[in-house]
Amino acid sequence: MRGNGRIKRTLLGYIVFCIAILIVPIFISDAYLLNKFARYLVFGLLSVALSLSWGYAGILNLGQAVSFGLGSYCMAMALKLRTIPIQTGAGGLPDFMVWNNVQTLPWFWEPFHSYAFALFAGIAVPVAVAFLIGWFIFRARVSGVYVAIITLAMLVVINLLIIDQQRFTGGFNGITDLTTFELFGVQFDAYSTALYYLAAIILSLTLLLGFAFINSKTGLILQAIRDDETRVWYFGYDVANYQNFIFCVSAAVAGVAGMLYTLVMEFASPTFLAVPISLSIVIWCAVGGRASLVGAALGAIVVTGVQGSLSDTQAFLDTWMLIMGALFIVIVLFLPNGLISMLELIWRKKRPLQGSASARLVASRASRTGQATGHRAVSSR
Amino acid sequence: MIDIVSQISVGLSIASILLLIALGLAIIYGTMGVINLAHGEFVMLGAYAVWFLQTYLGIGLLAGLILVFILIGLVGWVVERSLIRHLYNRPLDTILATWGVGVILQQGVRLAAGAELRYVKMPDILTNPVTFLGYDESAYRIFIFVVAVALLLVTYILVFRTEFGLQLRAITQNRDIARCFGVNAGRIYSLTFAYGAGLAGLAGALVSPLKSVSPDMGTNYVVDAFLVVVAGGVQSLLGTVASSYLIGQASGVLAFLSDDTMAKAIVFLSVVVLIRLFPQGLFAMRVRRS
Repeated sequence: MRGNGRIKRTLLGYIVFCIAILIVPIFISDAYLLNKFARYLVFGLLSVALSLSWGYAGILNLGQAVSFGLGSYCMAMALKLRTIPIQTGAGGLPDFMVWNNVQTLPWFWEPFHSYAFALFAGIAVPVAVAFLIGWFIFRARVSGVYVAIITLAMLVVINLLIIDQQRFTGGFNGITDLTTFELFGVQFDAYSTALYYLAAIILSLTLLLGFAFINSKTGLILQAIRDDETRVWYFGYDVANYQNFIFCVSAAVAGVAGMLYTLVMEFASPTFLAVPISLSIVIWCAVGGRASLVGAALGAIVVTGVQGSLSDTQAFLDTWMLIMGALFIVIVLFLPNGLISMLELIWRKKRPLQGSASARLVASRASRTGQATGHRAVSSR
Repeated sequence: MIDIVSQISVGLSIASILLLIALGLAIIYGTMGVINLAHGEFVMLGAYAVWFLQTYLGIGLLAGLILVFILIGLVGWVVERSLIRHLYNRPLDTILATWGVGVILQQGVRLAAGAELRYVKMPDILTNPVTFLGYDESAYRIFIFVVAVALLLVTYILVFRTEFGLQLRAITQNRDIARCFGVNAGRIYSLTFAYGAGLAGLAGALVSPLKSVSPDMGTNYVVDAFLVVVAGGVQSLLGTVASSYLIGQASGVLAFLSDDTMAKAIVFLSVVVLIRLFPQGLFAMRVRRS
């Protein structure tokens, strides 16, 4: 570690970022644009969730969209039950259930009459699912590649089930026609400044708390696990518990992002937990910098922001994905720590005397033997 | 009785498709340790290649098979040469890079051929059902089964009975020592990757008349294929065969009992449980790890 100076400098960067996203509404009053920006922030939050588990603990979760989608559905269920023009009388059934000949509201929909429960479930359900998967895989010391395959398989299974259980989930269409979310008398309309602030505040808080967390003892142990799992076992730490813990934290953050996304988009859909969005999360995270929370957030915001500002036509989106794929490969090959690591490089070049020769020697020797240098480098196993 | 036999033949049919797709992946993953998430896209390319040959050049499916194998193999070769080669000491990053390749191939095809579903015509001589032991069986499915078995044999001979296979197995066991003995690891790797990709292309060509062809068809196959390979045990051809058979039969039976979606979900979950219990797969080969 390069001491407190580095941490202070990084923290300053985080604070600048938070202030920047919080003052956006002062300059922009266009509701449509603000909604777009809120969406980018939600993607930023989602990217931060993956950065926590992938960048800081080496768990490449290709099924991050599971947590995102589950959070989104929890919020949508609560809002659906409050939609005023419900299609039929009997017990206030959501319209798609009526179309599917469901007679009574299923038991697991009942508690969603309460906002408090829905907000709780939006975090608790993704965490519970992640805990089960995590308990299952980390206990067996499954790691690396297998984690990626298992999480990807889980994503496909859960997506299939949600589409299949059309009677309870709305199938392909998802849950649409939602009412406006209201909390403490504030209406969080999709196009309101209030919703933008909600997203910006949650993202800022997550970044700052996350920053404190990754520099705590637990955070350092997680980074040690990322760099060399076996050694941490030998030190007597229960690696599986730590891995499962960060897996759940990451799911919780993604769940919150999912809830926000429902508010921004005004619907929930099975595409929220399909493979393409999971792929996008990994791309954002990699482009921005997986081992930096603010880098991951920036990656998501920049990538989706550029995409959104250029064009929305289908032909463009297809070309854009093509470019993203290429950019992704280039970054994986040449800049494993993402664009944010460029900042670090520039900083170092400006102050060449900062890192002493001996430190550099240690660093290069460490990287040769497969160890990581400080907490910036990412183990690639 | 009829039910059981027809059930087994449905299972066999699913299993042979799984084997076709998983074979290429097993070779690449087992020997190179590269997680090729673009494998599904190679399958998709194979299907599109057949569609293209049929629609624009009038070359039928059967006549086009060799061409498809060479074409997709070439694509695989280029991918290995330009990309995978640089990532051999970063296995987790090969997932990312090949995923990127998958995106590029998928979008490229979508831009070039359009996003709409395409249909490939079954060869005329294989459209009629044949009667086998008193049961009507689709000739095409039997054909797929035969091809799958034949490719398995070819692969077996290639790996265990040729100079190339010997070098390949040597590299798998210990790359550095093999290189000391003058094995050109880079060349073997690119040929292996090309062969695996070619197999995927063949698989895509063969399934194309059974299912509609679309740019995103590969995503489903790649997960299926990975579960087959991982469940069977990496580096074991026998394991891949056995697990394709088991998973194929299980899918058939479960689909009969409930529906396709539930069958898939249950099979996936069972395989995940299996990986948890046998992290080395069902048929782990004892190979010294470098």
